[in-house]
Amino acid sequence: MPVKSYKKYISLFTFIGPAFILYAIFLLIPTLGGMYYSFTDWNGLNRDYDFIGLGNFIEALKEDPDFVSSIFFTLKYVLFMVVLQNVFALLLAVFIESRKRTKGFFRTIFFMPNMISTIISAFMWTFVFAQVIPQIAEKTAISFLDQAWIGDPKVSFFSILTVSLWNGVGYMMIIYLAGLQGVPQSLKEAAVIDGASAFQTFRNVTLPMITHAITICFFLTLNGAFKVFEVVYGLTGGGPGRSTQVITMNIYEEAFSNNFRYGYASAKSVILFVIILIFTLIQIQVMKKKELEA
Amino acid sequence: MNQKKSSSIIITVMLSIGAAISFFPIYLAIINSFKTQGQMFESFVSLPTSISFDNYVNAFKQINLLNSTLNSVVISVLGIGGIVFCASLAGYKLSRTSGKVSSIIFFLFIASMLVPFHSIMIPLTRMAKALHVQGTTYGLAIIYIGLGVNMAVFLYHGFVKSIPRELEEAAQIDGCNEYQTFFRIIFPLLVPITVTIAILDFLWIWNDFLLPLLMLTDVENYTLILSTNTLFGEYNKEWSLILAALVLTAIPVVIIYSFFQKFIMHGIAEGAIKG
Repeated sequence: MPVKSYKKYISLFTFIGPAFILYAIFLLIPTLGGMYYSFTDWNGLNRDYDFIGLGNFIEALKEDPDFVSSIFFTLKYVLFMVVLQNVFALLLAVFIESRKRTKGFFRTIFFMPNMISTIISAFMWTFVFAQVIPQIAEKTAISFLDQAWIGDPKVSFFSILTVSLWNGVGYMMIIYLAGLQGVPQSLKEAAVIDGASAFQTFRNVTLPMITHAITICFFLTLNGAFKVFEVVYGLTGGGPGRSTQVITMNIYEEAFSNNFRYGYASAKSVILFVIILIFTLIQIQVMKKKELEA
Repeated sequence: MNQKKSSSIIITVMLSIGAAISFFPIYLAIINSFKTQGQMFESFVSLPTSISFDNYVNAFKQINLLNSTLNSVVISVLGIGGIVFCASLAGYKLSRTSGKVSSIIFFLFIASMLVPFHSIMIPLTRMAKALHVQGTTYGLAIIYIGLGVNMAVFLYHGFVKSIPRELEEAAQIDGCNEYQTFFRIIFPLLVPITVTIAILDFLWIWNDFLLPLLMLTDVENYTLILSTNTLFGEYNKEWSLILAALVLTAIPVVIIYSFFQKFIMHGIAEGAIKG
């Protein structure tokens, strides 16, 4: 018996070992390490550091207005993104699904931006916002277009949203399309025979059938939106000043281009993780309930 | 019936307008990349009067296209290959073993799926430096394996449940050992989920920006995305050059997309629903 269980562990190790070791080195230990350092005043260079308890967290939330405003900016962005990305994606999916011959064409066109790297998308749109639109505004004298699309933080928030949506809607659209394809045609036909309008059919037949897809897309958009980095980095660089800085960027700046306060930056990372965790758990709870009702 | 037809036309018109808006930035990037700087500033929207490939030749050199693409390919292939190899073994074994040890390990894999990359980037950078995997394409690929296996283990774990155990028992009776059983019998059956995983990981690794930015220091090792980023920083007024570089960067993805369109769509939907 002991020989057999010894063998069992050997086989368990050879199968799971490679994945687990790499996972532990590059994900598990850094996660735990970051949490550990968040309670210290480590600066990344010195060998010794002290435990300062919650000092970093208190400083980040109380004495760091840039960080706090980056949290609020991110929250605002998340709110807009979660709503708009899902609304656009679902609308596109419903419309495209109703097409027959042009389905493939539209799906490709709307999905294409998603294949382009986010940072490349941001550069492409920088050209549009900084060069093309001002030129069009000048030639056509449409005053609405004549704005500092990247320079004015109030306007650039919407520029950032535009690029994020352009880049991200396609992915969610694909998931919704897959969900819609799972809705049995017979159910929709039955509703139509019973005299339901197109909107009623959608509201009462289609929507309840795709709640699972909706839950997934909300989860993905919520998670993705909190982690936004590339779009802002490429488009405004967080500026002017720090007016469009998001949480991830604030952490990046603190850790890699400021004064290397690793302990402090780690505390901010933990705050980001906790925020995402809370929002995700709430979202999953709420959606699961809805799914059961449906 | 007539009403139905007209609403159908309205939807087509709306989709077409949306498609035009969606395609507009790509159109602008393409047409302006063929213009000279002077032609461009006359009008961004109009088609080029004469086509010049100077920007492309220049951008080709500046982003060191062949080398950068090769780096991206090496990192993606090694990363995906490693993830598939490690995760299929682990996902299979975890799915087939009951007991505390195996469920704890599985829980550890899943628990980390919510950790945002930005929360680990600082310690990860330290770790990479300490292990001397920072600064090389191979090292970066190994890091991708470490970061990517949890999701893949999760997907394999779920998929293996649908494979009947009798297959393994039959193979064992025929004299296969555990490893032979896995590689000859099980792994071929995992192809559908492997394709899904490979696609999701390809989209992630090929387009990733921040991790290569932190890990690669030598221009020789830059990925396609990083090289374009550098170009953007250095020549931020020479738009015709930058646009040519952006188009060049996008071409490989478009080619891959046109070949694997069905798989990509399927992979995204599958990955999302299982996840």
